Amino acid sequence: MDCISARSKNIKGKGQSKLKRRESLAGLLFVSPTIIYFIVFFLLPLAVCIYASFTNWNILSPNRVFVGTLNYERLFVDPKFWKALKNTLFMLIPIPIYITFALLFAYACHKNILGQKVFRAIYYLPYISSIVALTLIWMWLFNSKYGLVNNFLSLFVDNPPSWLSDPFWTKWMIVIMISWKLIGFTSIYYIAALKSIPKSYYEAAQIDGAGPRQQFFKITLPLLTPTTFYLLVIGMIGSLQTFVEVQMFAPDGGRGYGVGTIVFYIWQKAFSSSQMGYACAIATVFGLFILVITVIQFTLSRKWVFEGN
Amino acid sequence: MKRKISPVRIIVFIILLIGAVTMIVPFAWMLSTSLKEANLVYTIPPQWIPKPVDWKNYIEIWTASNLLTGIKNSCIISVSVLVFCTFTSSMAAFAFSKLSFPFKNAIFVMLLTTIMVPLVVLLVPLFVIYTKIGWIDTLLPMIVPASMCNINIIFFLRQYMTGLPKELLDAAKIDGCGYFSAYWRIYLPLCKPAIVANVIMLFMITWNDYFGPLVFTHSESKQNIQVAIAMLNSHYIQQTDIPLMMTASLIAILPVLILFIICQKYFTESFAMTGIKG
Repeated sequence: MDCISARSKNIKGKGQSKLKRRESLAGLLFVSPTIIYFIVFFLLPLAVCIYASFTNWNILSPNRVFVGTLNYERLFVDPKFWKALKNTLFMLIPIPIYITFALLFAYACHKNILGQKVFRAIYYLPYISSIVALTLIWMWLFNSKYGLVNNFLSLFVDNPPSWLSDPFWTKWMIVIMISWKLIGFTSIYYIAALKSIPKSYYEAAQIDGAGPRQQFFKITLPLLTPTTFYLLVIGMIGSLQTFVEVQMFAPDGGRGYGVGTIVFYIWQKAFSSSQMGYACAIATVFGLFILVITVIQFTLSRKWVFEGN
Repeated sequence: MKRKISPVRIIVFIILLIGAVTMIVPFAWMLSTSLKEANLVYTIPPQWIPKPVDWKNYIEIWTASNLLTGIKNSCIISVSVLVFCTFTSSMAAFAFSKLSFPFKNAIFVMLLTTIMVPLVVLLVPLFVIYTKIGWIDTLLPMIVPASMCNINIIFFLRQYMTGLPKELLDAAKIDGCGYFSAYWRIYLPLCKPAIVANVIMLFMITWNDYFGPLVFTHSESKQNIQVAIAMLNSHYIQQTDIPLMMTASLIAILPVLILFIICQKYFTESFAMTGIKG
């Protein structure tokens, strides 16, 4: 008996390990495109970027010389880099604007305001539209002489700004555009999050005598913090990479480089000046910068994001 | 739920209405301008309903710009990416959610890191790699990497498939189904709503892509629609034909807009589902 059961166990074990191997093989095979993608289109370029940042690489000449940290030293005294960084940080301004409006909009929808379905369809419209088409429309809207915006503004002020030639106003124009574009999209996250808050919380609060305002600030807002945190993280990563608007509104980076962002500067350096080594150095620093900001956000999140149970 | 009418609600409604008008005005202005004769554009105050309505721009645009080639290339790119990426990503999602294989978690975490690195870091090296293998000025840089996987779709479908019972796989195995046919015949059909939502999102992203085609293509015959309409930008050409520019924008927006109107339910669903993931 013992012998037989031992043997059957053995057979079972062998069979199972064979099955297991088949499963492992299938699994690896199924994710193999993903692994190839990761190695060829992510890891390899990433390594090349870091390596190239230590060379004087240039697409036109084949000889590549190792220059040590020269590119990095150059970067710290490059006034255009610092200007680009300042302009890039300017692009963070839309985040609190669209998050606030999106939250209010989502709250109104959640409270079942009249016509909310139509409102939602309309508010999502900018997000699905191509950014290039939007910039073309925007240029026409903000045309300093014949644009709709300045026509409207001239009812109130004497000299409406020349949006497209003054870097300061161009940047504000981009801020308005990004905020406008993302309100609807952002509200979707809040609408989903609001739906997931249990009604019993509000009922309990009502019994304890909390008014609508107190309910909003003491229940709704804290329970939405995970969503807000997520939106802040993806919003920052996205905003810091602003490129298309700059390239369309100010193809040369604007007067005194007042509009150009970091991504735009890297693109210019690599493909117009063909200083690829230097472009890679800026890209590496910029990648690290985004990483550090994200890590800081995660660290700070413990202080204000509600974790629940 | 009964709607109560209170002063607060009326104020909120008015604010939302103003917001909605702000959302729509640029699009309405685009439509209105696209129906104008070139000289009618510069009237003050602006004319909302053009007199006469001029459809000429919608004929002229096809010869005045590279739009037709752009649409053709965008279609080639979008269709290839949609077909291959949906297949590869859903297969990977199936493996991540239902199979056990070595380094599974390590590979998954590895994929997470790709989201943290901005595209611009990879851009210059990719350009050089593509130059070496002769991919510059072809559609391949837009098609091949995007076809191999889409991290967001993998996350999304993995989440979705985790909710499906694993017993289906065991039953399939007993019936002599291989892993591939278990994925293809059982799990993939069950994921249909999620797949549709993702296909729409993917189409939107691929159709609206501008950065990649801008960097990796040069000749007019390889431009996608976004690059083609960007060329109408007044900064690049001497004479600005604003009505023509608006016509091109409208045509570029239209495919996604139509899809959005038809599948609005799926759109919001997919947004919401990806939102829950975070």
